[in-house]
Amino acid sequence: MLTHASLRMLVALLAALAARSADAQQPQRKASPPEARVFFVDLKDGATVPSRLTVRFGIDKMEIAPAGVARPNTGHHHLVIDAPPPAPDQPIPSDPNHLHFGRGQTEAEIILPAAEHTLQLVLGDQDHAPHDPPVMSEVLHVRVDAATVERARTPSPPGATVFFEGLDDGAVIPTRATIRFGVAGITLAPAGTSAPATGHHHLIIDAPPPDVDREIPNDPNHLHFGKAQSSAEVTLSPGPHTLQLALADHEHVPHDPPVFSKAIRVVAEEPRAPDRPAAPAVAQAAPGLAQATSGAGAPTRTPAPPDAAVYFIYPPKGATIYPNTTVRFGLRNMGVAPAGVAKANTGHHHLLVDVETPPLDQPIPNDPAHLHFGNGQTEKKISLAPGRHTLQLILADAQHVPFDPPVMTERIEVTVMAPRKGGAAKAASKKRRR
Amino acid sequence: MTAMGRRIVALLGLLAGLGLSAVVAAAGTASPPGAAVYFHYPLDGIHVPQRFTVRIGLKEMGVAPAGVTKANTGHHHLLVDAEPLDLTRPIPSDYNHIHLGNGQTEVLLTLPPGPHTLQLVVGDHDHIPHTPPVLSKKITVYVR
Repeated sequence: MLTHASLRMLVALLAALAARSADAQQPQRKASPPEARVFFVDLKDGATVPSRLTVRFGIDKMEIAPAGVARPNTGHHHLVIDAPPPAPDQPIPSDPNHLHFGRGQTEAEIILPAAEHTLQLVLGDQDHAPHDPPVMSEVLHVRVDAATVERARTPSPPGATVFFEGLDDGAVIPTRATIRFGVAGITLAPAGTSAPATGHHHLIIDAPPPDVDREIPNDPNHLHFGKAQSSAEVTLSPGPHTLQLALADHEHVPHDPPVFSKAIRVVAEEPRAPDRPAAPAVAQAAPGLAQATSGAGAPTRTPAPPDAAVYFIYPPKGATIYPNTTVRFGLRNMGVAPAGVAKANTGHHHLLVDVETPPLDQPIPNDPAHLHFGNGQTEKKISLAPGRHTLQLILADAQHVPFDPPVMTERIEVTVMAPRKGGAAKAASKKRRR
Repeated sequence: MTAMGRRIVALLGLLAGLGLSAVVAAAGTASPPGAAVYFHYPLDGIHVPQRFTVRIGLKEMGVAPAGVTKANTGHHHLLVDAEPLDLTRPIPSDYNHIHLGNGQTEVLLTLPPGPHTLQLVVGDHDHIPHTPPVLSKKITVYVR
């Protein structure tokens, strides 16, 4: 059954609903001429239709008259959606499943949710009752193409605004700048959190305002801040840019009315000194002394983005592998930099073989069980003896200290098969299951 | 070069296309023997959704962010529907040439339906391909 919310009718139809007047008494059924019929124009049973659909009504051997007009051989259309044919001796109900066209309309725009639906036309007399015999169309089965469903928009509270904090039209900013997003009259909430009067920021760079009735795209020109961030560090190429803030709801669709900032123009300039002011506050002290400051004092570990992750592209957890295998490292939401290069959100890989996770506030040891990839490598061919082994990847900063929070995998177990094929490999895979 | 439009090429988070420093064409940095860049994902000829993560593999070399001068390192560039490169010049920075200048080894792409070509090339600290160039095969994916 359709709910009223899912079937939004256009203004024209609302008047028709009002036409349902004093129908309470049992009306006399009006006779219909033989061979009179109503039908859908250009719509076939089994059709796939868009969600917003204009339905056209045809009539033959009778005429259309508005509701309330008593004239022989006339009637007005009723569209029955997802409901059985109405009772012939009752006025046709007026609800979201029974649309009245009491002003004599011969077409209507309806919006259907993505699903299978049935449509049927029924002619009603001046009192909305079917004729005798009833003049009804066949029941059409239609399927709504899900791709055409328009997104419902979340209402925004009156007076809600977004704006750039401390950034004016025409400002000159560094190519790598922190941009602060202000919000008033509406609350920030992470994407996916559906609550009234909430949304999350989108920064639109060098692009026109987004369409208001669909998801804001996710690309370099439309940055999403789905964790309800209120600022972001963005990197712009040198030169003029336009920036605009757009708030959108839990599904990234702008509110109704949209809460957008004014588009501002800024000019990005290369900073004078290429030195990174945000150089990680890594322990300058000799390795081994780093743990002394792990208390509330200055952090010795470089921060990592909260969504950063390192993972094994190969081998997967539990795999049975050859004695000589290339281990491939994947890294999400961070970059790789050689050891010694202090650059925000970069680090280098370490592969730990058959050892426990080391202390995370100290440089990772450098020995045959802790392989360092200080040249920025992202894969390594290793040789392992047949049997079970554990592997772990840990990303570490310029000084080989794990990040905060640590960017590391769990210790995965792999089984190295004997160099020969046959029985040994089978035994190995059995062992894996333990 | 067909500018495929703003919405075509997408990067999570940061703009990868750091502004190129105005570099005069110079002889590229030497690449180590056996160096190769390749796609972990996607593979040539497969069908992919409109949003997918490209995962990049690199053999016999290391990754370093743009600007870092270190032997046998470079950073990745993903070429989307791009014409063949002039391998002696800095790789262009536009929607068809995605620079992974922070040393990223994967990138989220959003492409319109249809066939697209992808190719990887490693650039040195100045975004110039190495000598010999470390270039992947050009693959075709079908976005559904």
